[in-house]
Amino acid sequence: MNKKEKTTKEILHEKSSGRKRVPLYNSEALTRIQRQFEQWMHSTVREKDRENWMKTPRTVLGSDIPRAMLYTPLSNPDFDYQEDLGNSGQKPFARGIHANMYRGREFTMRQLTGFGSPEDTNERIRFMLDHGATGLNILFDIPTIQMYDSDDPLSQGQVGMSGVCVDSVEDMGLIFKDIPLDEVTISIVTHYPSNTAILFPMFLVLAEERGIPWDKLRGSVQNDVTLEELIRSGPEYMPPKDCFRIQCDNIEFIRKNVPQWNFITLNGYNLREFGTSGVTEMAVAVANGIETIDEMVSRGHDVDTIADRLAFFWSPASDFFEEIARLRAVRRLWYKIMKHRFNAKNPRSMWMRCHVQTSGVSLIQQEPLNNIIRSAYHALAAVFGGVQSLHVDSYDEAYSVPTEEAALLSLRTQQIIQEETGITDVVDPLGGSFFVEALTDDIEKRILDEVDEIERGGGYVAAIESGKLHKKIATYFSNQQRDIEDGEIKVVAYNAYKSDAETPAINVFRYPEGVEKRQREKLERLRMNRNNEKVNKALAGLKEACTKRRNILPYSVECARARCTEGELFKVFKEAYGLWKPPALW
Amino acid sequence: MEAACTLVSCTISETFIQSRKYVRRYKEKMPGKIKVLLSKLGLDVHSRGIITVAKGLSNAGMEVVYIGNALPKEIISSAIQEGVDVVGVSSLGGAHLTLGIPLIEEAKEKGFKDNVAFLMGGVFPPADTLRLKDIGFDGIFTPGTTSNEIVSSIHELVSIKAGRSNS
Repeated sequence: MNKKEKTTKEILHEKSSGRKRVPLYNSEALTRIQRQFEQWMHSTVREKDRENWMKTPRTVLGSDIPRAMLYTPLSNPDFDYQEDLGNSGQKPFARGIHANMYRGREFTMRQLTGFGSPEDTNERIRFMLDHGATGLNILFDIPTIQMYDSDDPLSQGQVGMSGVCVDSVEDMGLIFKDIPLDEVTISIVTHYPSNTAILFPMFLVLAEERGIPWDKLRGSVQNDVTLEELIRSGPEYMPPKDCFRIQCDNIEFIRKNVPQWNFITLNGYNLREFGTSGVTEMAVAVANGIETIDEMVSRGHDVDTIADRLAFFWSPASDFFEEIARLRAVRRLWYKIMKHRFNAKNPRSMWMRCHVQTSGVSLIQQEPLNNIIRSAYHALAAVFGGVQSLHVDSYDEAYSVPTEEAALLSLRTQQIIQEETGITDVVDPLGGSFFVEALTDDIEKRILDEVDEIERGGGYVAAIESGKLHKKIATYFSNQQRDIEDGEIKVVAYNAYKSDAETPAINVFRYPEGVEKRQREKLERLRMNRNNEKVNKALAGLKEACTKRRNILPYSVECARARCTEGELFKVFKEAYGLWKPPALW
Repeated sequence: MEAACTLVSCTISETFIQSRKYVRRYKEKMPGKIKVLLSKLGLDVHSRGIITVAKGLSNAGMEVVYIGNALPKEIISSAIQEGVDVVGVSSLGGAHLTLGIPLIEEAKEKGFKDNVAFLMGGVFPPADTLRLKDIGFDGIFTPGTTSNEIVSSIHELVSIKAGRSNS
């Protein structure tokens, strides 16, 4: 059992069981509806439809939640408006965290950017900002994510691919050349807690050297144990407990020193893309959130000083209403958890704020232009669901990193939703729909059940260590693959309506050449010109902090100042924490 | 034979081995079975595809050795040590050419290319499929390939290679 004697589900049940409900529908009306419904069912509905009344949609990354043919007030007879929905910006925040939602603040159009050298990425960033992007989202190359320097033998052939390479604070400076760090909100997609503890200090030192105080910086890091321990594939892993501690070290340091920065993005996205249902995606992120707040409280922090900067990251996929209902459901559940399990006082602490990226796994190579439509529907669901910030995947991503043209089209998709469809004028336009409300209730219960399962197994870190979650995911995605191959899950132009016509050629992005060589030269110069005595001292300080279990962030900031490289810090982590052997997935 | 717990009959929990290189090291190939070495190329973080393929191949009765992330030299030396019929690598991070070329070169250098089928799966621009074939990959699998397609293509390639080595 976790630190608490009761599970979150038990606590929430206790809180809700004593409350008086005020149902929206009066009993006379319900009786009449019931009578009419039964008559209709037997007089008007065809026998075949009666027999197949419930249907379970089979979709890519779907949760297999059965649907009735028609929803009525009987689907949710004790619906209590104030208790279950409330107005927007009010508890339980099912309708949105702000009263005016997109009228007050449009969703941030935050397209991922990052490839090649820091200079190449700087150019693409400026292109996106010139075309109306309102936030930045920086993605790193694989060696940087995996914490190897560009000149490490393991990085060979991969530098600058699928993201931008960063070896030291110097590269950070080149990425953000001429970008006012205190004017744009910047999402730094650091993935793991360990590389957050290396890369974010480089960003902070860059700001410091440009004379920008840290309290002016706004943005987010990912800093998520799920990505490092559950999803990652890599040669070396840190033990989950140490990884979780670094996640909390990052939170503690950033909360104190960079007060406007979102210090964790509780990540469902990458887990779902790896292969889980929408329900598991949210349950895992919520369980991580609960355990993280528990840890911060046990370190002596007040709930309200931590919870108001938590943000989530979700993957809206193809089952349109499930995606909308999911976002509403988890927003209400998070409110209840913060209110009843953690006794938060500040309403901001109870907000489930989120960034979403449309589902990449749902895009296919056959007839790639169809992906434009898929991503647009994913994005539409996200906006109906009331998200804060959005990235739309590009249609050519089943081939490579997007071309400039495809990246622009993704941004245009967002702008068309915002400026042309009119859906952002009304808050939570689907609120009150018999179907959407019933589905929202159902999904909320399912998420809470899966959170309960994790807590009963000893909590989130224990669930990672045991390999239970790894297994659950592997089972889900193998089954999905089988069902797609069998045609049970339909994918247009792949296993349904297949066309014999040859797929028209599309322009595909080509990585700039010579990046690896230039990075190697830069690193050589850096190692020659920096004060290596200072470097060694900084690294020794970091190692001592790691082994003595102090908060490591002040020491990694010192390392960034001394121009230590990412690989040098990772080496310290490996020496201090040792390595963990993750479970085999098949 | 130690290889009694082949992957064919293993459930996931049985294959939960507390070793990162959860490879069952069979020095001898099981007679009549196709033996495949699978690896993620370089540091690439996307492993869903290769795990799905590993399951698909073992379900089809093949003997699968998955070594996780590895560089070309390491892949070829493991493949030689294991005495496999097929080497399959996965790349979704853009390194299919920059690491794919050294992989084939290393295989040729070690005299390991002619009798073994080399496969690459992952995400790459269409034109690169041809490049990869030119370099010497015998099979290229892009997203959308089914397990059955991979299995039958392996059977075909292995028999062609066997024919070649017998002649």
